[in-house]
Formats: sequence, C-alpha cells, structure tokens
Amino acid sequence: MFKDLDPILHSQLRLAVMSLLIGVKEAEFTFIKENTNSTAGNLSVQVQKLKEAGYIEVNKQFKDNYPLTTCKITSKGVQAFEDYVKALQQYLDVGKK
Amino acid sequence: MEKELLPQESLSIIQNMIDKTKHSLSDGSHYFLLWGYAVFLGCIIQYSLLAIGFHEHYYAWSIILVAIVIHNIFIFRDSKKQKVVTFIEEANGQLWMGIGIAFGVMAIMFLKVGYQYCFPFYILFYGLGSFICGKLIKFKPLVIGGIVCYTLAAISVFANYPTQILITAFSILISYIIPGHLLRAKYKTLNR
Repeated sequence: MFKDLDPILHSQLRLAVMSLLIGVKEAEFTFIKENTNSTAGNLSVQVQKLKEAGYIEVNKQFKDNYPLTTCKITSKGVQAFEDYVKALQQYLDVGKK
Repeated sequence: MEKELLPQESLSIIQNMIDKTKHSLSDGSHYFLLWGYAVFLGCIIQYSLLAIGFHEHYYAWSIILVAIVIHNIFIFRDSKKQKVVTFIEEANGQLWMGIGIAFGVMAIMFLKVGYQYCFPFYILFYGLGSFICGKLIKFKPLVIGGIVCYTLAAISVFANYPTQILITAFSILISYIIPGHLLRAKYKTLNR
C-alpha cells in the first residue's frame, strides 16, 4: 500500500527549500533564492505555504537598516520531510521491480 | 499550474539541494592564523625578553589584547557575509566560545597558582580546540596538530619555563598556523 506523498512537499520549489533547510541550522532568504534559482515573488509564496503548514519558521528582522528574512526548519517539518522521503522510497522500490 | 513531479525528479531535487549545503561551510582559517601568529609572536617576544634578562617579560602577552580587537572585527565582518549557518558551524562556534571562556578562567586561576605553570595547560587546550574542530570539519592537519599538542603538553611539564615557552611556540605552529594556511589554501581551491 502506497503512502500518499505530502502535497505540501510534493512541489518542485517547496521541496527544494525543505531539502536546503534540512541540512542547516538556518538560512537567509537570499541564500535560498540563489540556490533554488527562484524569483523572490514565487519563493515568498512557497515559503509562506511551508510556514502555514508549520514546516518552517520564518524570522524577519533588520540588519544594517535592511530587512533580513531567515528560515529554519521545525521538528514538524523534519518529520514531514522524513515521511516524504520514506514514501518516495516506496515508489522507487516498486518502480525497480 | 505546476507540473506533476515524478519520484525520480523529487529525489534529484533533494540530492541536489543537500549537495549545495554540504559545501557551504565558511572559511574560518583567518581565526586560526590570527591566534596562531599572536601566540607564536607572544612566545618569541617573551622568550627574547627573558633571554636578555628583562624582568617584565610577560608584557609580551599584551599582544593578546590586539588579537582580541582584530578577532572582534573579523566576527563583525563575517556576520555581514554569512547567509547560512550549518550545524557544524554552530557546533564549531560553541566549541571555540567554550575554549575562549576556559582560557579566560585559566588566566584568572594562574594569578593564584603561578604563571610559571601555565604553558602545559595552554598547550593542552590548543590541542583540544584543534583536535575537535578538525574532527568536526573533517580536516586532518588540525586533528594531527591536536594530537601533537596533547603529546607536547605532557612532555612540557618536564621542561623548565623558558623551554616551555619554546614548546608552546612550536605547538601553536603545528596546531594553528600550518593547518590555518592549509585550510585557507583548501577553501581557495574549492571556491576557484
């Protein structure tokens, strides 16, 4: 029986954001933007969706008079990511057979 | 509308993004070089002052105050550039903060115990820092430097005070200065 792939994570940009954040303590919005090759507008929308799902924490502050946004994965996000990878594994195992 | 992701595509996105953060460890070699050269110079100056019979030979260590100022400038400059904090960097930062505090505490302790006994303990802590940091960032020269310091810390207790100063200079050369230059060269190659 297949596990359903989490629709929040099963999207190219949101999955990329989560995969970046899983390996770090926190990352600036610009770091995520550069590494996912996304536009600021699209990334903002996807980050907001991840935040609403409780998968990431978004912290907005000021640094040298410029707005600075940092993102951090939550424990709920880590769990969701692990479940997603396990479900993905099932699909891939079946594909091999 | 976003196109449906295939499982293979999902896996490739995950792999690709994890690879990007794997190499995002920032270059911390300037801290090794700063403290390495500061301590090395401190040792050489103090040894020279002792050799010419200057009574206040410990004045040599005022160089540490200069190093602290430069260290804080580095921290300020690096905090502006850093866009991502990895778990290894976080652990590394905590390690050096802990060791920095230990050096401060030791400076106070040796006021009572006597500064003539300080060098073996300082060598031990240089070794501890470079050994753990080397293991964290998987950089062998630091690990080797740490092991050499552990050995020299044990040997130095059998040496007299001026010789202990020279052993400390050698320890910092092996555990901070040489690995610091090698680390710098490694980052330059990685970012070429």
